[in-house]
Amino acid sequence: MGMKISSQVNVAAAEVAVEAINARFSSAGVEATSVQHASGHKRTYVSITCPPAHWLALAKWMRFDGGVNHCSMITGVHHPDGGPDKGWEVIAHLMRMPVVDQKPGKALVHDAAKLSGKDVPMEYEVMLTLPQTDDPVVPSVQSIWVGADWNEKETWDLVGINFEGHEYMMRVLNPHDSPQGFHPLQKQHHLRYHGHNEMYDDAQGFMRLPVDVDKVK
Amino acid sequence: MAQMWITMGPQHPMTHGLWTLRVKVDGETVVDTEPELGYIHRGVEKICEARDFTQITPYCDRLCYVSAMTWAHSYIYSAENLLEVEVPERAEYIRLIATEIQRVTSHLMWLGAYSPDIGNLTIFTWCLRDREMFIDLMQELGGSRLHYNFPRVGGVKRDLPVGFAQRCRAKIALFLGRLKEYEMLLDESTVFLVRTQGVGLASAEAMVNAGVTGPNLRAAGVNYDVRWAHPYSVYDELDWMPSVEKPSSVKGADCYDRYRVRMEEMVVACEMVLEALEKIPGGADSHYSPGDAMIQSKAPLRAPAGSSGFHHYEDCRGESMFYLQGGGEGRGKHPYRVSIRSPMFITIPFVAKTMIGYKIADIPAIMGSFDPCIGETDR
Repeated sequence: MGMKISSQVNVAAAEVAVEAINARFSSAGVEATSVQHASGHKRTYVSITCPPAHWLALAKWMRFDGGVNHCSMITGVHHPDGGPDKGWEVIAHLMRMPVVDQKPGKALVHDAAKLSGKDVPMEYEVMLTLPQTDDPVVPSVQSIWVGADWNEKETWDLVGINFEGHEYMMRVLNPHDSPQGFHPLQKQHHLRYHGHNEMYDDAQGFMRLPVDVDKVK
Repeated sequence: MAQMWITMGPQHPMTHGLWTLRVKVDGETVVDTEPELGYIHRGVEKICEARDFTQITPYCDRLCYVSAMTWAHSYIYSAENLLEVEVPERAEYIRLIATEIQRVTSHLMWLGAYSPDIGNLTIFTWCLRDREMFIDLMQELGGSRLHYNFPRVGGVKRDLPVGFAQRCRAKIALFLGRLKEYEMLLDESTVFLVRTQGVGLASAEAMVNAGVTGPNLRAAGVNYDVRWAHPYSVYDELDWMPSVEKPSSVKGADCYDRYRVRMEEMVVACEMVLEALEKIPGGADSHYSPGDAMIQSKAPLRAPAGSSGFHHYEDCRGESMFYLQGGGEGRGKHPYRVSIRSPMFITIPFVAKTMIGYKIADIPAIMGSFDPCIGETDR
């Protein structure tokens, strides 16, 4: 078989990654911990909280010294009720993959049992918290992972978080002529069903009223 | 010659869905490209914020009608991570069987859609014929033809029906024989080889950096598969290897490599299903009623504020992921935020840049070989 990376190897690799990040960046306020997944095989991943100002430096170090070569997802969350210190969150999910450029006619097939050091696959989660502001900005990592490019475009388009240094930012999912400042995943925008669980509270639809019920006709 | 921009799409056979590829051409040569997405953006992430954890599953089915089963499972594993649920082993086996059958149908749909693009219509009818066999199998599980709403938080909706294992084995035996006919038809077709070999070269390192995953990456010789590197479900209990293709050029994998890797992946998926039917706890021929502890465990309905869950998942087109934050409306009955990683959303911009330097006639061959799906891309 040889398919399974044992949990000891997994935990040890996570510990090594955590220590390296903490040794290099703890003075900048970056805090890395190894966290166990709550379900399934309960594998360990590296969870990092990082002040937005140091995100670019951390990303560069992770990419070029830590071997984190795959940007899986960058996403944002709007917290209007999160208190003065937590108005917005940007969450990056990254992975370390044992990948080398292949020579023609050869396929490098890794034997999971023999992987060690930086070749062990590892998941990373980086959380950046921004205070309450009308103009949330974090540094862009588009130049570090090409894969971050469209993730950041999407996050700006849907959530409205700006990425400083991102080249050619544009709408990708909303229409290109959407009004400036319209970002539908911000919490002030509500769907018809928000706050009213029609399926349970009004299964027959008796309480449903025409949209112009209180208007002069 | 003067350069000019031409627009392919949103209605164009190359697009395999609704999107636009703007191409800058110099004569017949592609000089620059710019993809435009969002034509079928439904706002699934926003809709999910107003649904509870069970109600979200059907929306995830509809992210991609070609592989509804894998998308629903992708969500369910993240929800289980958020709600901290343990799943019975029999349910994990049933999920594995369902998703691997879905992988075969998805790759069949890809092959059926790809071969007419490059001048082989016979394969299209063959693929749809064989895909129907497997769709019937999944219909037995989920109850409907394409959108199954099959997994539940903590298990599956219902057990394998009586006689499912027998029908499944018979269909797989038939299909594995027919797959050899496909290979004979395609691998010996000059038209197919000329249009795919040496076209659309993409190197492993560039693809990883750009976030391309799944069969497209394995075609470049990288043994990377989420099922292998971060095993979930019971993938680590089965005897299998990810199908990896040897890249045919120093510049990386071409369209033919991507075709080969999907053909092999169908075989691997079929073998995995057969092995799972043998190893499933309780036996493949026994049937437990819905809600039985063998196929579904109890799961909480609410997630507290501040909790989060995510799960990397090997979809048919690459790594998909849901990121969920708990603590939404109804005292945590709804998620506060649902974020979806679509493999094709990341891949399409990469493919668009891969086309630079090739001819306009190569665009359908290159685009189709990456297996685009716009439902999941636009969400």
